[in-house]
Formats: sequence, C-alpha cells, structure tokens
Amino acid sequence: MLYLLVSIPFIGALLVYPATERLRLPPSLVAGLMALSALVLLLFIGFPVYSGAVLLSRAEWIPQIGLSFSFRLDGLGLLFAELILGIGVLVVLYARYYLTELEAGPRFYAFLLLFMGAMLGLVLSENLLLMMVFWELTSLASFLLIGFRRHTSEARQGARLALFVTGGGGFALLAAVLIMGQIVGSYELSDVLASGRLVADHHLYPLVLVLFLIGVGTKSAQFPFHFWLPHAMAAPTPVSAYLHSATMVKAGIFLLGRFFPVLAGSELWFYMVSGMGLSTLLLGAYLALFQHDLKGLLAYSTISHLGLITLLFGLGTPLGEIAAIFHVINHAVFKASLFMAAGIIDHESGTRDMRKLNGLFKYMPHTAALAMVAAAAMAGVPLLNGFLSKEMFFGETLVLKWLVEAQWHWLFPMAATVAGIFAVAYSLRFIHDVFFNGEPVNLPKTPHEPPRWMKVPVEVLVVLCIGVGVFPNFTVRPLLESAAAAVLQQPLPEFSLSIWHGFNTPLVMSLVAMGGGAILYSGRKWLFRAHDRIPFQISGKQWAESLVESIFQLGEMVDRLLDSRSLRRYSFFLLAIVVAAGAVSLWGESFPAAKALTPVTIPVVIGGLLLGAGSIATAVWHGKRLLAVIMLSIVGLMTALLFAYFSAPDLAMTQLLVEIASVILVLLAMYFLPQLTPPESSRIRLARDITLGVIAGIGVAILSYSMLVQPLDSISSYYLSQSKPGGGGTNVVNVILVDFRGFDTLGEVTVLGIAAVGIVAMIGGLKIWGPEKDWLGRSWAGDRHPVLLTTVSKLILPFALIVSAYLFLRGHNYPGGGFIAGLVTGVALTLQYIASGSDRARQRLPWDNLKLVGAGILIATGTGLGSWVFGFPFLTTTFAYVTLPIVGKFEIASAMLFDLGVYLAVVGTVLLILAGMGGLHQREENV
Amino acid sequence: MSMLIDLLIVFFLLLGSSFALIGSIGLVRLPDIFARLHGPTKATTLGVGSILLGSILYFSSRQGLSLQEILALLFLFMTAPVSAQLLSRAALHRRCDSIARLPEMDDGAEKKSGNS
Repeated sequence: MLYLLVSIPFIGALLVYPATERLRLPPSLVAGLMALSALVLLLFIGFPVYSGAVLLSRAEWIPQIGLSFSFRLDGLGLLFAELILGIGVLVVLYARYYLTELEAGPRFYAFLLLFMGAMLGLVLSENLLLMMVFWELTSLASFLLIGFRRHTSEARQGARLALFVTGGGGFALLAAVLIMGQIVGSYELSDVLASGRLVADHHLYPLVLVLFLIGVGTKSAQFPFHFWLPHAMAAPTPVSAYLHSATMVKAGIFLLGRFFPVLAGSELWFYMVSGMGLSTLLLGAYLALFQHDLKGLLAYSTISHLGLITLLFGLGTPLGEIAAIFHVINHAVFKASLFMAAGIIDHESGTRDMRKLNGLFKYMPHTAALAMVAAAAMAGVPLLNGFLSKEMFFGETLVLKWLVEAQWHWLFPMAATVAGIFAVAYSLRFIHDVFFNGEPVNLPKTPHEPPRWMKVPVEVLVVLCIGVGVFPNFTVRPLLESAAAAVLQQPLPEFSLSIWHGFNTPLVMSLVAMGGGAILYSGRKWLFRAHDRIPFQISGKQWAESLVESIFQLGEMVDRLLDSRSLRRYSFFLLAIVVAAGAVSLWGESFPAAKALTPVTIPVVIGGLLLGAGSIATAVWHGKRLLAVIMLSIVGLMTALLFAYFSAPDLAMTQLLVEIASVILVLLAMYFLPQLTPPESSRIRLARDITLGVIAGIGVAILSYSMLVQPLDSISSYYLSQSKPGGGGTNVVNVILVDFRGFDTLGEVTVLGIAAVGIVAMIGGLKIWGPEKDWLGRSWAGDRHPVLLTTVSKLILPFALIVSAYLFLRGHNYPGGGFIAGLVTGVALTLQYIASGSDRARQRLPWDNLKLVGAGILIATGTGLGSWVFGFPFLTTTFAYVTLPIVGKFEIASAMLFDLGVYLAVVGTVLLILAGMGGLHQREENV
Repeated sequence: MSMLIDLLIVFFLLLGSSFALIGSIGLVRLPDIFARLHGPTKATTLGVGSILLGSILYFSSRQGLSLQEILALLFLFMTAPVSAQLLSRAALHRRCDSIARLPEMDDGAEKKSGNS
C-alpha cells in the first residue's frame, strides 16, 4: 500500500502529458485527481497510525550497499504526508486559476506532481539511502519549479541558486547519513532509531552533527544558508505557496524531527541547533519588516518561522518538540494561505509592491478578510492557531533557565519576545499597508475580487486556522500526539492545548509582543529610512555566485595548466611520461628469450622496409598534405598485408576497410584545412621531438620483442579450443566478438553510437566556408558529379552489398562478420554520396542514419536480453546449422542477430561520419 | 591433365606479371601525365586480371569451383576506367603539361566552382 501511495504522484507526472494531449483533459484535473486519490488513500491506510502503529514495507534494491526500497508510515511521516498531499490538492486547485492558459500546461503539473512524489518519498522512507535519493529529487524538482518561468533571468538565477545551495547541502547530508549508517551498521531507520545513544556517544558525532545541520540548514533556509529562499520567490505563486510554506523548506525540519532521538540530547546539539534557529528567527523577522515585495515579506517571515521551529528542536525538551511539530502544522496552514492571498492580490492588481498597494479592502473585501485572519494567525493573535504554538514557544524559552549558564538565562525569552514584536509588526504591515492606508498608487490593473474557486483553497486553510485555534483538542491533538510520539520515541509528557492558561509569563510576553509590534509598525517610516541608511548590504546571492564563478575560474586554471591547446605539446608530454614510466619500471629487468624466433622471409623484410619508409615519408612530407596521406595509406596497406601474412585475415580486412574509410575522411577534412604549409618549427624542437619519438619507438620495439619471446600461457588457447563447441563457430575472432566477449562488444557498439550522436550534434548546424579556389588560385572543376563515376558507382552498389552479405553470413566460421560487413556496406554507400552528391543520395537512401545506429544497438541489446526469456544469463547464445544454395552451409546462431546489430550500428556510424563531413561542402554551396 | 592446367596457370601468371611490369615501367618512363595514365590503368589492370584468371584455375582445380575472383575481376574492370577518366579530367582541368595540344575549356562552366 505504501508503494502505491508513493508511486501515485509519479504515475500522475507521467500521465499528465498523454492525458492532456490525447484525451484533451485539463492537466489540472489530472493532477488534482491524482493528489486527491493519494490523500484519500493516505487517510485510509493511516488510520491505525493514530493509535501508535508503524506501517513498514520493504523490498531489496541493492542489498550490497544497504540500499532498499523500504517505506515507513509513522506519526511524523503521516503528519508530513498529510500536509504534502492536502496542501498539494489545494495548490493544484489554486494554480488552475492563477496561471494563464499558456503557462498552465501539462509541464507545470508534471513538475508539481514530481515534486509531490519526491517529498512523499522523503517523508515515508524507511531506508536512509532511499531517503537521500528522494531528498536530491526534491532539490531537482524544486529547481524545475522555481525556474518554471524560464524566460526570465530572475527565475533562472533563483532556481540555480536554490539548486546550488540545497544541492551542496544534500552532499553534506549524504556524508552525514553514510557515517551514521556506518556507526549503526544499518541504513534502516528502525535500526538507527533503536540504536539509542550509539551515534551521540561516538567520537565522530560532532562531524555527523555538523554535516547533518548543513544539510538541514540549506534545505530549511537557516542562517547562514537562508539567502536562496527570497530569490526562489521568482517562482509562480502556487509554487511558493507549496514549496516555501508546507513542503520543501520543511524537509530539513522533518529531518530534525526524524533524527531527534538519535542526535539530540547533547550540549553540542543544543548550542548548534538552537543557535542556528535563534539567529535565523531574529534575522528573518527583522528583514521581513523591510521588504516592499509582498512575497519577499512572506519569504523572510518563512525564514523566521523556520528558525523558530529549529530553535524549538534545539532546546531538546519534550514539550519543545511538541511545540515545534505543532508550529510546523500551523505555519504550513497560515503561510500557504498567505502566499495564496498574496498571489490573488498580485493576480488581480498586477503588482506586489506594498508601496503601491494600499486600501485594497474596498476592492476585494472577501480576500482581504481571509488574508487578515491568516496574517493575524502569523502574528499570534488569540483564537487562531499561531497563538497556541507561539504561546508554547514562549513557555519553553522560559524553562530554559536551568540549561543555560545562569547569567544568560534571559537571552532566549528576550530574543523570543523581540522576534514576536517584529512578527506582529510585519503581520500588521501585511494587513494595514495593503488593505488600508489610503488609496492604491499607479496600479497596473484595477483590482477586483478573484474568481470564486480561486478563493476556496484560501478559505479552507483559514477555516483550519480558526478551527485549530479555537478547538485544538478536537482538531489537531490526535495528529500531534502521534507525530510527537514518533519524534520522541518515548511516552509523551502531559501537555495541554488550550487558549487560556491563566495569567502567566508567556501571556505577558505575548502582550508585550502585540503592543511592541504595534508601536514598531507605527514608527515604520522612520525605521525604513534608518534601514536604508545602513551602508553595507550582505548579499548571500552575490556571495554564492562569486563562489561559483571562482570555482569555474579554478577549473579553467587547472585546465590551462594541463592542457596547452597544442596537440604537439600534448603528445610530447604524454609520450615523455610514458617513456619515463616505462624506463623507471623496467630498468634492469631482463627478458630471456625462451621461444625460438620464426625465420625471416623476404616478403616480411620488404613489408617491414616499406612500413618504415612510409612512416618516415609521412613525417618528412607532412607539409604536403596530399602526399602525406598517400604515404600514410602505404603504412596502412602494409599493415593489412602483414596481418594477412601472419594469418589474421579478419584483422587484415578490418584494417583495409578502416584505411579506406579514414582516407576518405581525411580527404574530406582536407578541403577545409588551409592549403599552404604552416611555418616550420625550430630545429631544436624538431631535434627534441625526433629524439623522443625514436626513444619511444625503440622502447615499444623492445617491449614487443620481449613479450613475443616469453612463454605465454594466455587465455587464447581456451578460446581456440572452445570456439567450436561453445560458440558454434570456427572463426575464433568472430566468436570472441559476438559470444565470449559479447558484453564488451555491446559496450563498444554503444560507444560507437554515442560517438555518432556526438558527431551529429557537432556538425549538425555547422557551416564551414570552404575555399573557393585552390592555393594557386585555380577554381575547382565545374562538373561536380562526373557521369561516368555516378553511373558506375550505381552499378557497383549491388555487388558490394552481395560481398557484404557474404562476409556477414559466413562470419561465424570464416573471416568476416558484422563489423567487417558493416564497414563494406558503409564504404559502398559512402561512394554513392560521393558520386551522386548528398541530396540525391539522401533521396535514394531515405533512412535516418542516426536511427540506424539506434536500431543496431537496440537489436544487439535485445538479443542479449532475449536469453533471459529462456532463463539463461544475459547474452547467452545458441546455434543451429542451415544450408542455403550458393552460400553453402552456414549456421544460424542467436549471435548472428547480435552481429546484425553490430552491422547496423557500424553502417550508420560510417555514413553519419563520412556523409556528414561531405554534407558540409554541400551546405556551403547551397548558401 | 593436371600438368596441362598447371602450365596454363603458369602462363597466366607470367602474362600477368609481364603486363604489370610493363605498366609500371610505363608509369615511370612516359613523358606526360596523360601518357603515364595508361600504364597503371590499362596494362596493370590487364596484369592483375591475368593473375586472377590464374588464381581461378588454381583454386578450381584443387578445392572445387572458385568464383570469388570473378567478383574481384568485375570490380577491377569497372573501377579502373572510372579512376582513369577522373584522373585525366583533373589533369585537364589543371592544365598539366602535355606533349599534345590540350582542348580549349569552356570557362563559363569553370566559374561555378565546387567539388564534392
């Protein structure tokens, strides 16, 4: 059931697109139904949790590293899941009216559902590593949502900043979780929670705690990581209402609650967590007052409230935890409704600037009433939910006097009261500045009430504010108790939820906060001027961006250090290092010749001399490009002949074909290269390079010689003996390729495909202006496609294909195979491109070469997977013999299908490269 | 019988080698590019063709009918003239030195540069 629950939003995210496009359903309907069904399911299966049950379900994923698909529904998870799904439903409804037709496409709802699923997975994970997976997923999904309006630079920067900060925090958290898992010896939450004081007494505990708090602090926007949150306000308001009130920023808080029994209870925890919470609380409350943007005010007040919750967790008292969880609920409810109200105001008046927004009560009284109740809840006015949790908060700070050194005991209540004053002041500003305080100034639109259904989500939330505030014991107590029990992992202390506790110190603090807030607000004009006069504004955004910038610069510096952008210097260093390493490791070794040398024959001597002459000629004539290519092809041809001479026909054929293909490629590329010889390098450098080259060559020669004379008992004898009985073919090379080492081949073919995609990406939109004349100023021949060449090449094609098919079919037993056949076909088809021109050839060969490569890889993989169907391991082969006329007896092996995949991928890649390079000319001429 | 076949094989091999040799000498010795083209494209093609005929006879008499060489012959005889023609066109285009007088070229077609 838990699996179903977690997968519903993900399924929804996948369904939104097809449902919108095929079935013409509004995407909001699909998303809303998905969220609603998940909520109903949660309420249904979550019922036993209220009485203390914990639902677990478990399935292995990668047991070797302790990663499993296990989910857990306990009180804390239930509370967060209800918030995520409940507010999620309301947000979907709200977004339906908030977003314009253009924006409210399936993309938005798919992202929203993706985020919902990630959050749900996070709060319901039983396995810590699985939880990290969802944690990162929330970062990514929120990146997509914050950057949803991708055409604005604000949204892009905000999204990037959020991803940078939360992603970095996720990294720290991952480290913390890994260490924690190592200490406990299990990544299952039940084991970790049951481990008691194990982690807290471990000597790595401070490290775990710091890393953990970095993760929590970045996600929940705690000082000093809070700065991303205001910039994330570039997101559409429904996203802010969802991410920045109820879900994303509460993820860190959730973890604080989750690991409270494991990590809390130490002095270090108290100082770090409550210190972080306290500074966030004060800073957020202070800055919130000075925002002129409606959403900016809400963003900083969110930071402040998150700090309050963190502070409560940091206190470490049982009642403090209850207050913290209570405030999580309350804050989610009133802040979501406030964001929605701010969105309505923005939507109907066209601005969020509080200096322009005034006196809106006249225009939208209903919305104003709702927003005022929610803002009052934020300020902590009695009869509303915010009052109750704030009262508990004040109460808890007072109890602290035993914990803190005696002379500091006043700090927490003082700070709490100051924060309360600011909270009242900014709430007042939200109410008074927007809805009263004179007339609106230069509004882009005349404000009016929004559509009926846009207000419904706000109404629901405001009713909850009042309901919780007036009848806390009926509405929220069961949920709160089960969640608090899950956090504390021990029986709950007595606590009372009521509006009137008698005239005590917390009430006095509340009253001071109310009065102080009102005074502070009335003096706001003076305060704003004072605030503007503060000369330095610390911008976390700039700081983070310059950090990113300097990371890039560092990378570039290292890159410049290592890569001189000169192929020559590059290969010099590479060779020099290889020579040095080889010399150091092999110095003083001796290689006794244990095997007799084969007798030297005249053909080998001639071949060897030609090889050497060809190589030297290539180097000497490198300035004359065409000549150098011809010399290089001598080297290639001689290599192929030597392969053939030493009984390696497969290699010889491959070498020959690759030689052809690469000569074509070089010639095509040469057209674009400068045709004059570049300046020669100095004699010293030349001497240096030659010396190094000779040393490296001698080294390789010595190494090969000593390798060849060693008595080597390699795996080849196994392949030779097993080729026929095991692989069903007598051509060992091919059997190794498609059978013994089929996985290697599959990988190589995939790499080939990736290279093909890379080439397409690189030369896809490329336009190179080839020279119009050659280096002597003569123009090119006018006849682009000589008739004789075109005609004969068409005639040859069928024969070439026959050869290719022949090589393919017999490949398993005689020299040949998919790779060689693919090269033959590729070269033959390339000839068509050369002879007839790209346009004509494309008409006659109308398939997409990239798809050909893809099809090849799919066929090869499919063949491998096919053996699973019959219960064998991946890539197991089977074979049978068939006799065809002319071709003779050959064998059908499942490996042949695999070979077909190789064949297609090779053909496609050859064509993509050669025809692509050739196509560059064509495009240039068509311009 | 087999003696006769062997003699025939020897004949074809010798004939082929002679053609190839003569063609190669021609490639080195003849005065201009248009004349030199004849060496590799005509004489050497014939030479390789003869050697392939010998190969057909050799393998057919020892391992049963062998026809792959026919395919090779076909490729050879189709591609050699084409490359000869392309080479001579290129030489003509570049106005290479010639002992014979070269035909006049149509300059209008030359303006449309391009080479694929």
